[in-house]
Amino acid sequence: MATHSETIGEEKVGKAKPGGEALHCIVVTPERTWLDEVVDSVVLPAFDGEVGVLRGHSPMIARLGHGELRTKLGGTVHRYFVDGGFAQVRDDVVTILTHRAIPADQVDATSANKDLERAEDMPSTSEHEFEVRERAFARARGMIRVARSKR
Amino acid sequence: MAKARAIIKRRKAVENIRKITRTMELIATNRFRKALNRATEAEAFTRKIAELVADLRETSAEASHPLLIRREPVKRSLLLVLTSNRGLAGAYNGNVLRIANARLLDDQTAGIDTKIEVAGKRGINYFRFRRQAVEAAYTQFEDRPQYEEVETLAEKYIRLYLDGSIDRLDVAYTQFFSTSRQIATVQTLLPVATAELGQAAPSVRQSRKATTPEDAASGRKKTRVPYEFLPDPASILEELVPVSFKVRLFKCFLDAAVSEQIARMVAMGGATKNADDLVKSLTRQYNRARQSQITRELADIVGAAAALQ
Repeated sequence: MATHSETIGEEKVGKAKPGGEALHCIVVTPERTWLDEVVDSVVLPAFDGEVGVLRGHSPMIARLGHGELRTKLGGTVHRYFVDGGFAQVRDDVVTILTHRAIPADQVDATSANKDLERAEDMPSTSEHEFEVRERAFARARGMIRVARSKR
Repeated sequence: MAKARAIIKRRKAVENIRKITRTMELIATNRFRKALNRATEAEAFTRKIAELVADLRETSAEASHPLLIRREPVKRSLLLVLTSNRGLAGAYNGNVLRIANARLLDDQTAGIDTKIEVAGKRGINYFRFRRQAVEAAYTQFEDRPQYEEVETLAEKYIRLYLDGSIDRLDVAYTQFFSTSRQIATVQTLLPVATAELGQAAPSVRQSRKATTPEDAASGRKKTRVPYEFLPDPASILEELVPVSFKVRLFKCFLDAAVSEQIARMVAMGGATKNADDLVKSLTRQYNRARQSQITRELADIVGAAAALQ
C-alpha cells in the first residue's frame, strides 16, 4: 500500500509542474520573440520597484516601468533595458511584453541624456501631453540608470 | 523574309520581358516569405496580449480609458490608406483605393469631415490625380514596416483623438487571411472597441489561432489561475488599451506588406505565363510565315521553269 501511494504521489508532483524544473524567461516585443531562455532567477522592473522571481513563484501579472531586467543563470547575470510593458508569471514561465528591449551594454547614456533634455522641453498643457512628458522622463531616466550601472 | 524577321524580333522582346517578370516573381516570393515570417513572429505579442486581457477580464475588472469612449455623432474622422510604394502588383492598390473611396463617399453623405492620410507612393499619386487634399503622406513603410515608426504614428493618432481633432480613425488596407485570400477592408481602430480589446485583428494563422485561445480558455476555466496583480487589474487593463491599439495598427501594416508581396507574386506569375503563351504563338506564326515563304519561292521557281519550256 505504502509503495503504491508513494508512486502515485510522485507522479502527481511531476504533473503539478508543467514548466519542469527550470524557470523560463520569455521576452516578447511587437516584432518578434526577443528572448527565450532557461534561467535561475529573473528580476523585473515593475512600475513601482524591482520584483525578483524564482522558480515556484505564485502567478502574477504586473505592469512594468522603464528599467533594468536581469536574468541569472549559474554565475552569469544578463542585463537588459526594458521599455515599459507587462509581465506575466505563471507555471514557472516569466513572460515579458514590452515595446522595446535592449541589452544593457548597448544602452547609450549620451543619447539618453539628450532624450532627457528633449523631455524637459516638451509641452505639458493638456493631460495627455503631461502623460507623454512623464513617460519620456521615466524612459530617459531608466536608460541612464541602466547605462550607468554597468560601470 | 521581312515578315518572319519582324516576328522573330517581337519574340525576342517578349522573351526579354518574360525574363524580367519571372525575376520579379521570384523576388516577390522571397520578400513575401520574409514578410510572412515577420508577421508570424509578431503574432506572439498579440496572442500574449489577448491572453492577458482574458485573465484580467476574469477578475471582472472594467477598463475606463478615454480611447474606449465612443463619441457620437462623429463629426471629424481620419482615414489612413495603406498602399504600396511600387506598382506592378495587380489589383492590390486599386482594391484598397476603391474601398477607401467608398468610405470617403459614405462619410461625405453622412456629413463627416474626413481627412486623408496615405502611406505609399501609389496612393499619393492617386489622390494627387484626383485633386484630393491629403493631410499627410508616408513613404517610409516599405515591405518591412518597423514597429517604432508605426508607434510614433500611433501616438500621433492617440493625441489627435484625445484632444478632439478626430472622432474616429479608420484604416483602409488589405487584410491577409491566407496566401490565397486577401481582402481590402476598412477597419475602425479608434475608438477602441471594448470587445476587440486585446483581440488580434483577424489574422495570419487562423487555423492555429482558432485552437489556441479556445484551449487556453477552456483550460483556464477549469482552474482559474489566482493571479497577483501589480497594480490592480483595472489599471493594468487601462494600460493595455493604448498598447492594444498600437499593436493593431502595426498588424495592419504587416498585413498590408504581406498582401502586397502576394499580389505582386500573383501578378508577375500571370505576366510570365502570358509571355510564355505569347512566345508560343509567335513561334507558330514565325514557322507559318517561313513555310509560306518557302512555298511561294518554290512556286516561283516551278512557274519560271514552266515558262521557259
